[in-house]
Amino acid sequence: MTMTAAPATTTRDIVVDEVFPHAPETLWKALTTGALMGRWLMAPTGFEPVEGCRFTYQTTPAGAWDGVIHCQVLSVVPNERFAYSWVGGDAGNQGYGSRLETIVTFEIFRVAEGARLRLTHSGFSLPHNETAYENMSRGWKSVVPNIGVIAGEAA
Amino acid sequence: MMQTDTLDHLMRALADPTRRSIFERIVHADEITVAGLTEGSGVTQGAISQHLKTLKKAGLVIERPQGRNVYYRVQPEGLEPLFDWMSHYDRFWRDRFANLRSLLKEIDT
Repeated sequence: MTMTAAPATTTRDIVVDEVFPHAPETLWKALTTGALMGRWLMAPTGFEPVEGCRFTYQTTPAGAWDGVIHCQVLSVVPNERFAYSWVGGDAGNQGYGSRLETIVTFEIFRVAEGARLRLTHSGFSLPHNETAYENMSRGWKSVVPNIGVIAGEAA
Repeated sequence: MMQTDTLDHLMRALADPTRRSIFERIVHADEITVAGLTEGSGVTQGAISQHLKTLKKAGLVIERPQGRNVYYRVQPEGLEPLFDWMSHYDRFWRDRFANLRSLLKEIDT
């Protein structure tokens, strides 16, 4: 057991990677057309698939957060890559509505079956509205691998 | 959505590196006594007991008295709130991917 100073907060990415039986062009359309985006994700306000464009999503408010997610298009490579920033929440919330300063990236790869879509939602950090939480960042890496052991206990 | 105070307790309990390593030792040991935890830890038995109290309050460990000894083991559901909190957006995107799949079927005819 050693006492070490906590490093800067680490972040964690969410990755969802699936193959769709559709052409990359069709997937691209669903991802980058405002009206279609609203039908599978959320309806955007002020969205244009143009680099630098700022747009918003309105979700359920929580605590001091009005529920608005502020986004800005960062990268548009037709049929291949689409990325935007995703910022919202409030430091006073935990779980739903906690402070998020993240980036959403969609990557499309042409495959024999159609298209592979990889979503990476990156930059999740621990709530650092309290310094104590920053110590947790080192903890994830060591605690998480133990879940299998704990799940084994539950069986 | 989730009980914030539960998550608070949990994070505070695990925020302390010494306490966290005690928790990890319990995870790996299956069952262990205070004496067993003190051994080779470089921390006093009193400090270990204090940490155990916090871990117990956070719902991370449970105790089982046996004769003169008390055995500590992990409470399997203890970490659940932490995973709920971490996996909110995992679930969010998986659900959205399912929506996207149906939408594509509809528009791609």
